[in-house]
Amino acid sequence: MRPNSVLYTFVLVLIAMSATALAQTGPPRTGNLGNEKAPAGPTPRTPDGKVDFSGVWDPGFSFANLGQVPLQPWAQKLYEERRASLSKDDPEARCLPAGVPRISPFPQKFVQTPTLIVILDEGNVHSYRQLFLDGRGHPKDLEPLWMGDSIAHWDGDVLVVDTIGFNDKTWLNGQGVPHSDQLHVIERYTRPDLGHLNVEITLEDSKAFTKPHTFTRTYTLLPNWEIHEYVCNEFNVDAEHLVGK
Amino acid sequence: MLGIGLGVLLFVSSASAHHSFAAEYDNNKQVTVKGLVQKVAWVNPHAYVYIDVTDENGKVTTWAFESLSPNALARQGWSRNSLKVGESVTVQGYLAKDGKPLADGSVHANSKSITTADGRKVFVGSSADDATK
Repeated sequence: MRPNSVLYTFVLVLIAMSATALAQTGPPRTGNLGNEKAPAGPTPRTPDGKVDFSGVWDPGFSFANLGQVPLQPWAQKLYEERRASLSKDDPEARCLPAGVPRISPFPQKFVQTPTLIVILDEGNVHSYRQLFLDGRGHPKDLEPLWMGDSIAHWDGDVLVVDTIGFNDKTWLNGQGVPHSDQLHVIERYTRPDLGHLNVEITLEDSKAFTKPHTFTRTYTLLPNWEIHEYVCNEFNVDAEHLVGK
Repeated sequence: MLGIGLGVLLFVSSASAHHSFAAEYDNNKQVTVKGLVQKVAWVNPHAYVYIDVTDENGKVTTWAFESLSPNALARQGWSRNSLKVGESVTVQGYLAKDGKPLADGSVHANSKSITTADGRKVFVGSSADDATK
């Protein structure tokens, strides 16, 4: 056997061994959400030079970020009613979609192609979002949607996502901050390095807010992790026992 | 073998993956229950652990304890086999506010920790604190 073919065989054996190891162990099943250390490294890019957001991401405790939304009086009253009843009527507790921008504390998986980015939610009701990157606009006469209609474009290394077309049924957080069907969400996603994803979220709602509101979230990359199954409607006995006070 | 202790607990965060803890359970009604594992229901959005509790007169009452979601339990290394049917456990938790049993007649409560006879703690955590832990 010539030296080259010995090396070639050795490499093949190594590849086979690592593939076997992966097949035996799979992605890690355990870990501490909210406390994983972000891996170090440069911002990954796709072959066409765009920032690559692919991966399984942990929002950590920033999932609950929202800040003080400037509400119009009717919306403030509704919010206070929801607070007083301890969020017993939260749609999420009835296994309805969280909407946008609300997310769960569980990871999200970003899948990226040149013309489409898909966000898969582990938590809530396994919602998905399609961020269309092919230059299309929003459809005319949108029906009210739980997750809205999202179109995206690049602003340098920033992925800008514009979402409209909402119903008024979702809450902006677990405390019950309301919005109307005029909600307009603008998200600016950046990936400053390998391990972090930041998003600046601006909410506009001419029917429910007195002015636009901006807040941020920071995600940590979970390398080699996978999202888990979470089928909310399987045994949701909570709904009939949510009594509030 | 059933002790009910009332206590006040402070919660750092009411952040829940699924539902408001305070709308369903009473954090002023803490319970400690000793009994035998009847079954572990590995279901969403919350796993349930059913405990058969025998009182001084030999009467058996089944308690249903809501735990974390299966994905949260699995990430901490627990599975549906972390508890064995028939094993003796002590469960700490909170009573449901409405006082109504589940459809199968079991007493409805929320667990924050389950301790086995040999001192192992499993299914630690509750929607009372935070589902991400």
